[in-house]
Amino acid sequence: MLGSEDGSWKAWLLLLPVAAVYAATFVVPLGLIFGLSLAEFDAGVVTPGFDLSNYEAALTDGLTLPILWRTVELAAMVTIGAAVMGYPVALQMRRSGPVLRTVILALIVAPLLTSVIVRNVAWLLVLGRTGFINETLMATGLISRPLPLMYNNFGVALATLHVYLTFAALPIYAALVSIDRRIEESAASLGASPSAVFWRVTFPLSRSGLIAGCSLVFILSMGLYLTPAIMGGSFVVTTPMLITDLARNQYNWPLASAVSVLLLLAIGLILMATMSLQRRRG
Amino acid sequence: MKLPSLTLIATLFILVFLTAPLFILIVQSFTAEAHLRFPPESFGTRWYGYIFQSEPWREAGLRSLLVAGIVAPGALVIGTMAALGLDRGPGFGRNGLYALLIAPMVLPHLVLALGMLHVALSMGLEDTLLAIVLGHLTIAVPYVVVTVGASLQSVDRMQEEAARSLGANDWNVFRHVIFPAIRPGVLGGAIFAFIASFDEFIVTFFLATFQNTLPLQIFSTLSFQVEPSIAAASTLVLVGTALLTALILTQGQVVASGKIVK
Repeated sequence: MLGSEDGSWKAWLLLLPVAAVYAATFVVPLGLIFGLSLAEFDAGVVTPGFDLSNYEAALTDGLTLPILWRTVELAAMVTIGAAVMGYPVALQMRRSGPVLRTVILALIVAPLLTSVIVRNVAWLLVLGRTGFINETLMATGLISRPLPLMYNNFGVALATLHVYLTFAALPIYAALVSIDRRIEESAASLGASPSAVFWRVTFPLSRSGLIAGCSLVFILSMGLYLTPAIMGGSFVVTTPMLITDLARNQYNWPLASAVSVLLLLAIGLILMATMSLQRRRG
Repeated sequence: MKLPSLTLIATLFILVFLTAPLFILIVQSFTAEAHLRFPPESFGTRWYGYIFQSEPWREAGLRSLLVAGIVAPGALVIGTMAALGLDRGPGFGRNGLYALLIAPMVLPHLVLALGMLHVALSMGLEDTLLAIVLGHLTIAVPYVVVTVGASLQSVDRMQEEAARSLGANDWNVFRHVIFPAIRPGVLGGAIFAFIASFDEFIVTFFLATFQNTLPLQIFSTLSFQVEPSIAAASTLVLVGTALLTALILTQGQVVASGKIVK
């Protein structure tokens, strides 16, 4: 099976267990969602069929599309934050000696392994009405009433940024370390100022990593349920929260499935856009 | 030389952004008050005592350990086999298969969870440990495929050839040649898989009704009030995952030093 020459079809037998698990928990479930999104839903009864009424309802109810738009907006805020914060960290890692680089890398990767809900709880204690920031500012007399730092877009975006920043920083770092330093050195020796070297050589050469990191953060942010639910309460409703409400509280599985398909489509569009961006630069 | 100092300041600021909330969480978890308020007026281990005595918290914690304890080795076996099959199989279709195998990493877990609940309901498996374990396996396997797949690149094919010519069968080649070479990747994958399962929220949220795991218990307690028990439980999870992370990092260093020796 493990024939040392590549290309033995028998090696694919090793994929059988993963195929069995994925069939039950990934392929069939996704197929069912597509199927259900086309089913009819009337007074709590689901009738299988080929019916676009769920999509029609989702697109015309004046609720689904604004929520989807807000989800995209939030994901865009998170992505911009992740790029703006991830880039300097990656740059610093490349410039640092081995010890400082390992320290930064460890601190950047550690959150990746820390539970999302634990990090959300931590932000709750920082941004909440009696949290760290508000209590500190009140004690120093800078403000007389707590600032609204959560249950709004700001709180959701900040906590989501904390969850996904690493996903932007690592691809940028990977792109930066693969740049040949001699190119930058020759630009500098030809008289380019440090900022000209950065903006005209380093930055363009790291663009593929930046785009890859940003698209990853964007996609992951759009599908996240937990953080908007905790940091936004019922004040920031995103598409994953809408889908959860439709399925769990209203038992309208066909509509929940149709909105899920719309979410997947939106994510697919973003992926295609970033792929064409990557291709355009060759 | 203006730019370097600027990135250093930005980096320090970002590292504070990443770590400070976690320190505040740890401080808050030692409050002896009835409510969370910063700074706590008195400190103690009151809420740690509470979560260890409270039936729902203890049960949720044990269930999370149980599920992750089944999922991690399961994902390890399935994921290692898949990575090996992909590495040794035909080059044709390899990239597509790899993308399919790691797709659950980037697909919204919510959409998978919705579909999984539908399957579980139609098979009468809702709110069972089996359904939760199977669901978590799909979330955890991609991490193993990535880490083991990466370390398979460093396997010396000549040694395999030599072992085979001396009469070793597939299993012996795997045990004595391939496995020692991919061990760091296997360990990293196992830890990632454990954490992925331990941390998984939305899949469990859909599949479980009464089978609370720790993230579900934190979430449902949150929806009543932000009780200090949440900070205590979160700190315990944080310490546990920090220890596992340290294990990965030291293992990584072992690998790095091994390369230098080579």
